[in-house]
Amino acid sequence: MYSFPRDLYVDVRVEESFDTQIRFKQLDLQSQKVRKEKGAFIRVFDGQRWYYSSTTNTDDVQAQIDTLAAMANPNPEILSHPIVTAFEVNQETVLQYEKSSVTDVPIQEKQDLLHEIIRQIKDETIVNHSSYYVDNKTIKSFYSSKGAAITYDQQTCGIRVTLDVVAGENKDQVSISKGATSVSELRGYADYLQQEIAKSVAFVRYAQPVVPGEYAVLLSPEATGVFTHESFGHKSESDFMVGDETMRAEWALGKQVGRDLLNIIDDGTITGNGYVPFDDEGTRGRKTEIISGGLLTGRLHSTATSVALEEGLTGNARAVDFQFEPIVRMTTTYIDKGTRPLQDILAEMDQGIYLETLKHGSGMSTFTLAPARAYKIEGGKITDPVKISVVTGDVFSTLLEVDAVSEEFELTSFVGGGCGKMEQFPLPVGFGGPYTRVRKLQVQ
Amino acid sequence: MNLKQEFITIQEKETTARVQQSRVQAVRLKDITKKGVRVYSEGKIGISGAVGEASDALLLEQAEQNLSAGIAYPYPLTKDYKDHRNYNEAPLSSKEVLEYAEEVLAVLRNEYPDFSFSEFVASNEINVQIRNSEGLDLVYQDAFFNIQLILKEKATANLFDGGLSYLSRQVDIERFLNFNRGFLEAYRNKVDLPKDRRLPVFTIGTSSINGFLGRALHGERFAKGSSLFSGKLGEKLFSERVTLDLMRDPQCSLRPFFDAEGVVLPNDTLSLIENGKLVRVLTDKKTAQLYDLEHTGAATGAYDDPPTIDGAHGQSLAFRTDSQDVKGVLAGQPGIFAFIFSGGDFTADGSYATPVQISFLFDGERLIGKLPEFTMRSHINKMLGEDYIGTFDNNSLYLGDIPSQLQGYFMDIVK
Repeated sequence: MYSFPRDLYVDVRVEESFDTQIRFKQLDLQSQKVRKEKGAFIRVFDGQRWYYSSTTNTDDVQAQIDTLAAMANPNPEILSHPIVTAFEVNQETVLQYEKSSVTDVPIQEKQDLLHEIIRQIKDETIVNHSSYYVDNKTIKSFYSSKGAAITYDQQTCGIRVTLDVVAGENKDQVSISKGATSVSELRGYADYLQQEIAKSVAFVRYAQPVVPGEYAVLLSPEATGVFTHESFGHKSESDFMVGDETMRAEWALGKQVGRDLLNIIDDGTITGNGYVPFDDEGTRGRKTEIISGGLLTGRLHSTATSVALEEGLTGNARAVDFQFEPIVRMTTTYIDKGTRPLQDILAEMDQGIYLETLKHGSGMSTFTLAPARAYKIEGGKITDPVKISVVTGDVFSTLLEVDAVSEEFELTSFVGGGCGKMEQFPLPVGFGGPYTRVRKLQVQ
Repeated sequence: MNLKQEFITIQEKETTARVQQSRVQAVRLKDITKKGVRVYSEGKIGISGAVGEASDALLLEQAEQNLSAGIAYPYPLTKDYKDHRNYNEAPLSSKEVLEYAEEVLAVLRNEYPDFSFSEFVASNEINVQIRNSEGLDLVYQDAFFNIQLILKEKATANLFDGGLSYLSRQVDIERFLNFNRGFLEAYRNKVDLPKDRRLPVFTIGTSSINGFLGRALHGERFAKGSSLFSGKLGEKLFSERVTLDLMRDPQCSLRPFFDAEGVVLPNDTLSLIENGKLVRVLTDKKTAQLYDLEHTGAATGAYDDPPTIDGAHGQSLAFRTDSQDVKGVLAGQPGIFAFIFSGGDFTADGSYATPVQISFLFDGERLIGKLPEFTMRSHINKMLGEDYIGTFDNNSLYLGDIPSQLQGYFMDIVK
């Protein structure tokens, strides 16, 4: 297919994507577009430095390979370089969405699905609303000079509704969304979306400012997912540790970072936003136990970081699209479910805050969660809605404050947005988990 | 069928030196073209688009097919206006980018072995065009040199501890290094947070506030009653010193001087809040007509989208400089320069809180020492009202030749 130059490692990733976007403002159609893109990312490695190129001219990949090869220094020992040696050579085609492809669903059906949901929005406090349906199907092909030849597909779709709510002096813009992997699955969430709309309207109508302070916080599965991603997930991305002895010592495998009830997993084989059957350098996706019984047991790797840290491959080298090189990213990351019913955990909480949905989160030394819907917990019950700017905690100590996880468990995917790392945003990731109680967090 | 046609083209070229552990680890070349076509007929709009080379004939055919979706657009096209602008006719070559990257990293490795630096040194070229069959012909070309290095203190277990930033059309590496020598020395000097519970805090850029104000100034939300500013046109909202503009001058923004409907503002700017008073809101052609508001040229949209008012407007808003001499205003009182304060947010009614991850003690001219993390809190009405210190031209912190501003407010400090 391609003529790979001698004495260099080369790989080529070709992405062919299909996207639909249908937008309404109230019941008026605003846009309806189908976008088809094709692009390629080429990497050349001479043992010292990488050379990358991205192009939308996929008929011209060979010329890009040759251009990059001319910049590199040929290395007769390249095949014995530790990174090149470690690259997996998979040859496989995994097209699991051929029978439920979003490309086969007529656009009118997609429009009707969204219209049917927004047609039912009638609450008088909703003074305006906008909404969209989106889907994406991407077929990726990966070839390397070591002989890898992989083709696989990824698919997601979703609906997002944004409401402008005015209830007297209380005003807010709130969003509700649901993601799925097929249009038929998405159809099943119509009632869920209506319930979420009703909850959000009630929240805006009645929410009062929180009294700032330190609280015990109960996280919903959605909030648990963002908490896990921001408070710890990024710390498990091993590119931050390469060449950094302090980080390696702080996050040494075997270290206790949580109580024995805490298990955190990253799994690229789960369908949804984080589905990565092969990562973007051809490594097979897999399940990685990052924390087991409160002990640090693994971390996420690209091939280069796995070689540098002398740990196994995990299939976490991901690029946001064909314009970027793969870097270490999460796939579907979650706290594993516990054994206690939610009601028992809640009953133990005399005072606290329940975080139900979030607007965004971030994670440096202090992680942040910006709630969309939050409620007081009083006497073991979820009571009044409260407006909160931000909930914060220390990434080094907060996992030790997790003292209960429920047997109820849910994985989910955002529609719109995604994970940002440096210049690569938004990368689709999956997340979720049980209801999780954190003994103390700062609430502002 | 009387078809009107509009063509949008975006070309982006880039050479990036990817940096890891203070060394160039990779070189990335990028050359991406995106094309969008809009056709208009009988009050409807049809759209199409492609990434990469695609013929106008094919895109026109697809856009005509898209007319059948029945999307209304009964507004006059911008017409009979030509404006071609090139803000940097001498972009750097790939070779120069790599040489600058190696030069900067050699100095940092040698002088600051207690830190490591990662991310990128890059040269970007951008060319955005909108042309239509009614005589509109706008071209924005620009190129800039971009250093974004994440700073990691080797002695800490944090993911990162700060960063060096430089965005400039003309390159002055010596000045970049000289400023950052002072920055890194201040970083090494760890100081305590002043004990006051209320302190003057200065920031570069105003993205958090602009994001909030962009939502409040959204013309449709204003008209529908869901904006914090609804019903307040002509009313005083903030301090008399506060003037906020819709800013389309590429000298300041590195963005096109026109909106998604090809509208160019007189002098590339239009005030929305003037001396504290709300005078206009953000509108595209549709919002202006539908709600009888002044048209302010605030349409957004991707290259293959119909124009809309619904985009993120924060990046297009800019405060007008209203004050001089930060040091004089501080009058010997310790100030804080908040460098990284991410993750916080405004509530719908304007309350604001955020952790401040990286900040420095600041005397108005130079950074004195690095402060521990803290949380700051306030309300939009106080930040731009009784607690507003002012918006200053940034003459203290050298971040390249793109003009920037410092903005200050007294904030409640939570340790």
